[in-house]
Amino acid sequence: MMTNKQRNGFIATVLAVLWSFAGIRKGRDYQLDAEQLNPKHVIIAGIIGGILFVFTILAVVNIVVSQ
Amino acid sequence: MSAVPHDVAHGHDHHDDHHHGPTGLMRWITATNHKDIGTMYLIFSFIMFLSGGVMALTLRAELFQPGLQVVQPEFFNQLTTMHGLVMVFGAIMPAFVGFANWMLPLMVGAPDMAFARMNNWSFWLLPPAAILLIGSFFVPGGATAAGWTLYAPLSVQMGMGMDMAIFAIHIMGASSIMGAINIVVTILNMRAPGMTLMKMPLFCWTWLITAYLLIAVMPVLAGAVTMVLTDRHFGTTFFNAAGGGDPVLYQHVFWFFGHPEVYIMILPAFGIVSQIIPTFARKPLFGYASMVYATASIAILSFVVWAHHMFTTGMPAKTQIFFMYATMLIAVPTGVKVFNWIATMWRGSMTFETPMLFSVGFIFVFTLGGFTGLMLSIAPVDIQYQDTYFVVAHFHYVLVAGSLFALFAGTYYWLPKWTGYMYDEKLGKRHFWLSMIFFNVTFFPMHFLGLAGMQRRVPDYNPMFADFNELATVGAFGFGLTQLLFAYVIIKCIRGGEKATAQVWEGAEGLEWTVPSPAPHHTFEVPPVFEAKGHHH
Ligand code: HEM
Ligand SMILES: [Cu+2]
Repeated sequence: MMTNKQRNGFIATVLAVLWSFAGIRKGRDYQLDAEQLNPKHVIIAGIIGGILFVFTILAVVNIVVSQ
Repeated sequence: MSAVPHDVAHGHDHHDDHHHGPTGLMRWITATNHKDIGTMYLIFSFIMFLSGGVMALTLRAELFQPGLQVVQPEFFNQLTTMHGLVMVFGAIMPAFVGFANWMLPLMVGAPDMAFARMNNWSFWLLPPAAILLIGSFFVPGGATAAGWTLYAPLSVQMGMGMDMAIFAIHIMGASSIMGAINIVVTILNMRAPGMTLMKMPLFCWTWLITAYLLIAVMPVLAGAVTMVLTDRHFGTTFFNAAGGGDPVLYQHVFWFFGHPEVYIMILPAFGIVSQIIPTFARKPLFGYASMVYATASIAILSFVVWAHHMFTTGMPAKTQIFFMYATMLIAVPTGVKVFNWIATMWRGSMTFETPMLFSVGFIFVFTLGGFTGLMLSIAPVDIQYQDTYFVVAHFHYVLVAGSLFALFAGTYYWLPKWTGYMYDEKLGKRHFWLSMIFFNVTFFPMHFLGLAGMQRRVPDYNPMFADFNELATVGAFGFGLTQLLFAYVIIKCIRGGEKATAQVWEGAEGLEWTVPSPAPHHTFEVPPVFEAKGHHH
């Protein structure tokens, strides 16, 4: 079972990765990330994010091509 | 950020300032000191820069007029190939490693690089590689002429110059990987107390991420050229359709290395510019956090765009559209960086010493290269541009006005710290303006040449392209001569001049400015205490 704290950490990690794909991050959020997030989790989330990024574009391409 | 100079102010015994151990040539051969090794990297890369430059000027001399005047077509192809290989692997990459060696320990407050002897080995692998490369001009058949990308099947057919290039790449790859490991371990394990990752100067961040990229993709390049080697000599047919292989496979493997490689050559440049702009705008870097995030995501996404170099290889439409979209999206975090630099300068009290001139010049001209990159990423359009001078224009805007200008900026910025003297500001500025003007005279016309259909890598061309080619050649010789001025400014600065203070630049912040100028042979043997002023938040 996930505790509340871990779940927040999970969401926070995902948010940090998503913002990084846009290349922007608020200084305050970044400080919180720096204090709270586990770098290993961020790296894993980043790689998973990269894979999801690929599948998302693939899905979009399929929609575009099917029309 | 700022720092308390404990190391300098107290308890720094005088004997630390001097080099002990072998002297003369042996000092350099047995060097384990990060500053000595950094200096050797910088000198090596400058020699390679001049060698690659002579090749480029020979190419431009041939291209001054249509028809063949200066060199044979076969030799022209060798020069094109070697110019690319020498500049990428001999000049730009080692120059950035030189900066890393000199500056990373000073910036994070470490006494040296983590593995000092491996560092010596990393450097001393490079001269043999350079000798193999340059020496290949003199063997039967001459140097490899397959283009710096060494595409099969051409690379499977060349003479022994190709084998020498393959071994040179193996050696340089090993050197890069060891250098990268050293950088990662130094940054992760040897930072001064108080310097958390999030307080590191941005140059350290960009190099940390670049080092991971190097470790990830140099083995891929080694694999690609090894497959060429076994196809050449050991009967494999990886790239030979007659034996069940596929030449296009080479392009996939090469560009899986190649695209991250272009970021390897630009991320440390972003780092240098991000140090310089806040200093001369007298404001902290705007959006430090976004810069770190953008760099990290560029690194990850750079692995999924490689086939934008292959739009004309007959890939399925879906694949082309995928790589087109992915490439366009990766330009977003790159664009964010440009906005951050501009926002840093916004309402700053700016002065324009040479490092700042090169940095601002970098922003303008690199951005142009980014835009042409975006044009090239549009698959249906790239089918027209592929293998034309438009591509040549694009990558010289990002590599010369990007990577090289950032290297110039960084050299002027830290030169007083290295030599203990101020360089000649008037000559430095002249170097900037001449470089900027001649760079654009050389490469801007290439956009038009490419759009009009002039192919790259050809010694002769249709007379309709003559005027722009003449202009480009004049610009190229101007640019080349201007770099001799750069050499003169450096030598003059090493020999003496106005004494540099420890701080050097009024607005500069960071640990490197707490040690005297020139930086003593040994620094931070006692870790400094780093206290951030909290600018980033
Ligand atoms: C906005 C970012 C960028 C985009 C969208 C982009 C896109 C492209 C595309 C689509 C090509 C293939 C053109 C063709 O062969 O038809 C290309 C070629 C190239 N790019 Fe970029 N690029 C970008 C930034 C950079 C940077 C930062 C560098 C290096 C510092 C770079 C270096 C190169 C090189 C060396 C080539 C040519 C390789 C060759 O064929 O020899 N690019 N770029
Ligand atoms: Cu690319």
